Amino acid sequence: MSEKLVIGLGSPDRGDDAVGGVVAERIGEIGLCDVRVIPLEDPLSLSQAWDGAAGAVVIDAVASGGPPGAVHVREVGAGAEPLPTHAFTAAGRGGSHAFGLAGAVELSRTLGTLPRRVTVVGVEAATFQHGRMSPEVTERVDDAVHAVLVALKEMDTEEVR
Amino acid sequence: MTHQLKDGGQVMHVGMLARVEGEGGMHIEYRDGKVVDVKLNIFEPPRFYEGFLRGRKFTEPPDITARICGICPVAYQSASTEAMETICGVTTTPEIQLMRRLLYCGEWIESHALHIFMLHAPDFLGYESALDMAKVMPDVVTMALRIKKAGNDLMTVVGGRAIHPVNVKVGGFYRMPTVAELLTLRADLAQSLEDALAAVELVSTFDFPAMEQEYTYVALRHPEGYPLERGTEVVATSGVRFPVAELAQHIEEFHVEHSNALHARFDGGTYFVGPLARYSLNFDQLSPLAQDAALKAGLGETCRNPFKSIIVRAVELVYALEEALSIIDHWRDGYPPSVPVAPRAGEGIGASEAPRGLIWHRYVIDEEGIITDAQIVPPTSQNQASIEMDLRTAAEQWADLDDHMLTHRCEEAIRNYDPCISCATHFLDLRVKRS
Repeated sequence: MSEKLVIGLGSPDRGDDAVGGVVAERIGEIGLCDVRVIPLEDPLSLSQAWDGAAGAVVIDAVASGGPPGAVHVREVGAGAEPLPTHAFTAAGRGGSHAFGLAGAVELSRTLGTLPRRVTVVGVEAATFQHGRMSPEVTERVDDAVHAVLVALKEMDTEEVR
Repeated sequence: MTHQLKDGGQVMHVGMLARVEGEGGMHIEYRDGKVVDVKLNIFEPPRFYEGFLRGRKFTEPPDITARICGICPVAYQSASTEAMETICGVTTTPEIQLMRRLLYCGEWIESHALHIFMLHAPDFLGYESALDMAKVMPDVVTMALRIKKAGNDLMTVVGGRAIHPVNVKVGGFYRMPTVAELLTLRADLAQSLEDALAAVELVSTFDFPAMEQEYTYVALRHPEGYPLERGTEVVATSGVRFPVAELAQHIEEFHVEHSNALHARFDGGTYFVGPLARYSLNFDQLSPLAQDAALKAGLGETCRNPFKSIIVRAVELVYALEEALSIIDHWRDGYPPSVPVAPRAGEGIGASEAPRGLIWHRYVIDEEGIITDAQIVPPTSQNQASIEMDLRTAAEQWADLDDHMLTHRCEEAIRNYDPCISCATHFLDLRVKRS
């Protein structure tokens, strides 16, 4: 079985933006075989980080207007549709000096570094202010961890087939 | 988008200017074919960092002010630590200064790589975005990502994080990286140096609009090298030079109605900070390799065409990579990471050269080390008047262009500065009114 990545995206200091790293850390504590966990703050690094991986699951905070804590799962690997830029910023919530997840996925697709299977687990954020995660998002961390495990299982099943 | 006015005039509106940082607007007004008004409207709300620094401990600004910007946090950390050490009468070791310089190189590498290739180059190559550029020039974008990653990795090893480093404190660092850790960076930095030299050559072939501006350039200067993390004095093309401690006597901040960011005057006039100023005032301090690359690219020892700032940034990229490699190659384990700093009542200024130009902090602390006054002067706010000057020149010089082309040219004139209005948004309205 080839290595898969679990990437926790976001800043640990900016409220619910920390959820990516928190969920990824939980996956790391489980100690799954053939799974490497990476915390990332700069989405522009994704193009190189997942180049050559068999698959990847990215956890990130989203702002699509849904209820805080809602967990969204979306497949964006090679051949899939782009992420909606209203929820996953193309230019990055750090401003245009950084790329957002949607922009980084499309850049990777263009450069041919996007793995065949990439699942995005998005958690609807309540706040991106400095400080801790909101209670609504904290309560849904278990659900996001479950979504990541399901995505990894599906990738394994697909490999066996 | 173009709107006809009832009086026969014209307003051009661009809803979103990509590849510029921050929330603001631009107003250009013509009367009888002449430019009568140019304003850079920064309407993004002020964030009051200076206000909430008051009452905090003197040890806190490196961590608090680093959060102002995700691209240039080290600039804030360097200026604030220097200011506090000056107030407290502390001199750090040469090794701590070298490590600060190495961290600063990381910031320049990632910031310049991002701006040159992902934000600025599409202007000259006719693409709407880096993504469009990647479809046609994947090798160039891959090279850019490679250089940026080398900068990110350097920031991570020295600063503890690629964004908002956590290893910096007043007096030095919490921990020094080891030789073994630094050597893991070497191969990528060496490759990036080759890439940066190729980048200078590439950007020098771009077609640059003809525009020469009589800026008053202001930058730091240091006898031991090109200014990054510090300087011993401030120099200007007006011939003025003075110690960093006197910055507040020469630079006056003031409010204008159309901007939420303070404007600034240098000895009473408009001035320019940034790569062009640094380069033009410190060419002799560049390494022979960087000087050679600059001259081969067609630059002189000074440069007054703002559109050519992309070449200057590429030359500075060469210098930062060389400097990083040199520091790593001479590093030894065992240096103390910091010196003790006890609070002492007083006032002090610290300055450094952020990727976008001179940044300086002024603090007043009491005998307990509590901050009673704080002033943070970043490069983009100092450059607002120069940006308006360039826009006026562009609007006059290229008034015959159609609205679309003129708007694009004005956007380029803004992007020449790599302005960092804030880290929160990326919208800027551009309005041109003709009547």
